[in-house]
Amino acid sequence: MAITETKSDSFKTRGEFAEVLHHLVRDPLGLTGLIIVSLIFTAAIFADWIVPYDPIALNIKDRMQGPSMNHLMGTDQLGRDTLSRVIMGGRIALQVALPTIGGAITIGVLLGMIAGFGPRWLDNLIILFFDTVRSFPTVMFALAVVALVGPSLTTVIFVIMMTSIPTYGRVVRTQTLTLRNSEFILAERSMGASVGRILAVHILPNVLGPLAVLAAMDIPTVVGLEAGLSFLGMGVKPPTPSWGSILNDGYSLIRNTPWIIIAGGVPLILTTLGFTFLGEALRDVVDPKLRGRR
Amino acid sequence: MLKYVGKRLALAAVIAALSVTLLFIIIHLIPGDPARTMLGPRATPELIADLQLRMGLDQPLPVQILIFFGNMLSGDLGMDMFSNRPVATIVFEQLPHTLALIFASIIWSAVLGIFLGCFSAVRRNSLADRLTGVLAVSFIAAPAFVIALYSLLFFAVELRWFPAIGAGEPGDIGDQLWHLVLPSFAIGLSWVGYIARLVRASMLEIMGEGHIRTARAFGLPEKWITYRYALRLAILPTITVIGVGMGFLLSAAVFAEIVFARPGLGKLVIDSITTRNYPVVMGSVLVSTILFVASTTLSDIVNALLDPRIRQSS
Repeated sequence: MAITETKSDSFKTRGEFAEVLHHLVRDPLGLTGLIIVSLIFTAAIFADWIVPYDPIALNIKDRMQGPSMNHLMGTDQLGRDTLSRVIMGGRIALQVALPTIGGAITIGVLLGMIAGFGPRWLDNLIILFFDTVRSFPTVMFALAVVALVGPSLTTVIFVIMMTSIPTYGRVVRTQTLTLRNSEFILAERSMGASVGRILAVHILPNVLGPLAVLAAMDIPTVVGLEAGLSFLGMGVKPPTPSWGSILNDGYSLIRNTPWIIIAGGVPLILTTLGFTFLGEALRDVVDPKLRGRR
Repeated sequence: MLKYVGKRLALAAVIAALSVTLLFIIIHLIPGDPARTMLGPRATPELIADLQLRMGLDQPLPVQILIFFGNMLSGDLGMDMFSNRPVATIVFEQLPHTLALIFASIIWSAVLGIFLGCFSAVRRNSLADRLTGVLAVSFIAAPAFVIALYSLLFFAVELRWFPAIGAGEPGDIGDQLWHLVLPSFAIGLSWVGYIARLVRASMLEIMGEGHIRTARAFGLPEKWITYRYALRLAILPTITVIGVGMGFLLSAAVFAEIVFARPGLGKLVIDSITTRNYPVVMGSVLVSTILFVASTTLSDIVNALLDPRIRQSS
């Protein structure tokens, strides 16, 4: 009996996944987003094989060149190949974005479900925590922390994760509040199911859809923040190539060559566009009421 | 209404107090000593102990928080150890520049956003509506500091249409406004997208409501209905978004101030981090946090004034 249940569940999931994919591919915006996001992931995963040059190797002889057949995006002030640095920068961007959002979702889901299902006082306490965290302007908060511990990837991940938790937590709380009095949950309760089981087996699967949309929409923000902090010199340390540090190099050389800024900004804009388009299209699939309202 | 305002203000005070406390706790949970960080690697133990004493770091955490709250309420954010001036004076000297930038961004993005949203809603599902929709999403996605860098590169360095750095001559309003164009464009662009979408969605919702149908049944001209009845209600959510948006704008302003070398809170923080001027960093972060809390509170209150449903439901 248990085996049949698992089988039918997995078929159902595969069916849903195929349906979501089908909708995404048919929506021009969704398809564009999907293609851009797939390209970014492919480039980040296979970066070691794709890069034409070592992204941190100095080559002073060829410094500050414009685009050419040898260096498609030109070189920087130390002669490093900008294209190679941009490709590697994509890996850094995802290395920050994925754990940050993963962590924020995990903590957000946990707190959101506790707030939605727990007693009123706990709900109020958690909401107050969310409101407090949200009251910091993110970049200012990040700068305050960086001022004390010094710039590093871990600091960036910690700060962005902290400030993203309320976004997920609030959505999960609202969903949980709506679900907690629905008939199937009341039935489970009357059969003596534990709170843990109700939350994990019945509530969690119902909140994942909106979370996927939020996560896709949140990735551009996180990628932009990481790049922004690195641009300010408060994120990854040199010589690690991040899109933000490439832009910082370009900024200091803005009167000598425009190419570094152009090369550093384009992938950032493409990434944010790709994920936003994908998120928009996903939302249309998850919430059909919104379809056609864009 | 008074009851609602009182409740909302009390909540804002609690949140502001909690966020200051949270900032304090996070700072103290982080390994490392602010005095040591400020003085750098070559500091002697005596120097560190002296600075700890002057900054009150030798006291237990709850005492430090209480002392800090007491000082803050009397407008004292501590002393800048480098220039020997009060932190509050330094921060409030820079604040008007940041506020001018933020207000300029809000004004132009709200005007254009409301226009685009209205334009889209009236032409629902047409090609123009779809194009505006894609444009709005693209604006939302664009990171402010990249827009700042690109506009600096194209409009200031290459084309030389606008000034590249600074906030303009003091006293010369025209020059100051001229210097505001590029930075406010950079940080306001994504707000055009947000506001356009928001206004479009709420216009569509309102256009389907009973009172609009009644107005149509009375034979009022369509333009009158759209602009006099629907738009007036549809811009209400924009007020909330602008209140919440203050936080994003304060963050984006940091980048615009650095890219365009403008004075302001953001530049002050970055400069202070570089010189390890810890009290000034904390003072600026605190003031910007309180500003953010105040603006969300104000937007909630304005919203309740304009929409009786909100104050009744709460």
